Amino acid sequence: MIGLEKIPLTLFWKWTIGVTLAVFLLAFVGLSLMAGSPRDAYGMVRYALPHMHRGNLKLGDDAPDARLVALNGTDHFHIRERTGAKPLVLVFGSFT
Amino acid sequence: MYVREAHPTDEWQMKSNLKDDVCYAQPKNLQQRLDIANDFITRFKYPLPFGVDDMSNAAESAYSAWPERIYVLDESGHIAYRGGMGPFNYKPLELRGWLAARYGEVRHDAAKPGDATHQEPPAAGAPAKTL
Repeated sequence: MIGLEKIPLTLFWKWTIGVTLAVFLLAFVGLSLMAGSPRDAYGMVRYALPHMHRGNLKLGDDAPDARLVALNGTDHFHIRERTGAKPLVLVFGSFT
Repeated sequence: MYVREAHPTDEWQMKSNLKDDVCYAQPKNLQQRLDIANDFITRFKYPLPFGVDDMSNAAESAYSAWPERIYVLDESGHIAYRGGMGPFNYKPLELRGWLAARYGEVRHDAAKPGDATHQEPPAAGAPAKTL
C-alpha cells in the first residue's frame, strides 16, 4: 500500500484542494452569519436543510388531502372536508 | 396545523427557545405531539380550529410545509395562494394583503379554542376560514 505522503501533489491538485477548502470555509462562515452562529449553521445543515423542500405544488393544482388528528387525540378529519363554501387558509407550523 | 418541531431540544435548539421558555424534545409519538400542541393552544389562547399532523407526517409531506408555511385553498379545492418556505419566506402580512385584495377586508370568525371540528356558519362578509 502506498502511503499518502508518497503521492506527489501536483500544482493542479494543490490548487483544487485549496480552493475547495476555501469555498467550504467561506460557505460555513456565510451560513454562520446568516444563521447567527457556527452552532446554528451546523444545526441548519444537520437538521433543517434535509427537511426543507419547496415541493411541486403550483397555483391551480388540486389541493392534496391528508388526515389530521384533533387536539383530543381521538377525532380525525381530512383537510378536503373543510373546502367548499369558503376559501380555506392552511397555516402549518410548530411551537418551537 | 401542527407539524414536526423545528427547534426541539434534541436537535437544533435556538437561544430564543430558552429565552421564551419553549423547550420540547422532538415528539416520538402522537401523544407527545398532542401534548405540545395543547400547550401551545393553552399558552397563546389560540382561537382557531387546529389539527395535528400524524406521525407519518402526511400533511407536511403533501404540502412541503416544514418548518412553516401558508396556503389558501379556494372554494373548489385548488391551491389559490402558496406562501414561501419559512422562516425567511413565511409572510402572514403578504397573505393578509392577498386576502384583502381578493376577497375584501379580512375579518376573523370567532371559534372555540382548540376545537378542530368547530365550524361557524359563514358570517356575512367573512372572506375566508382557517383550518
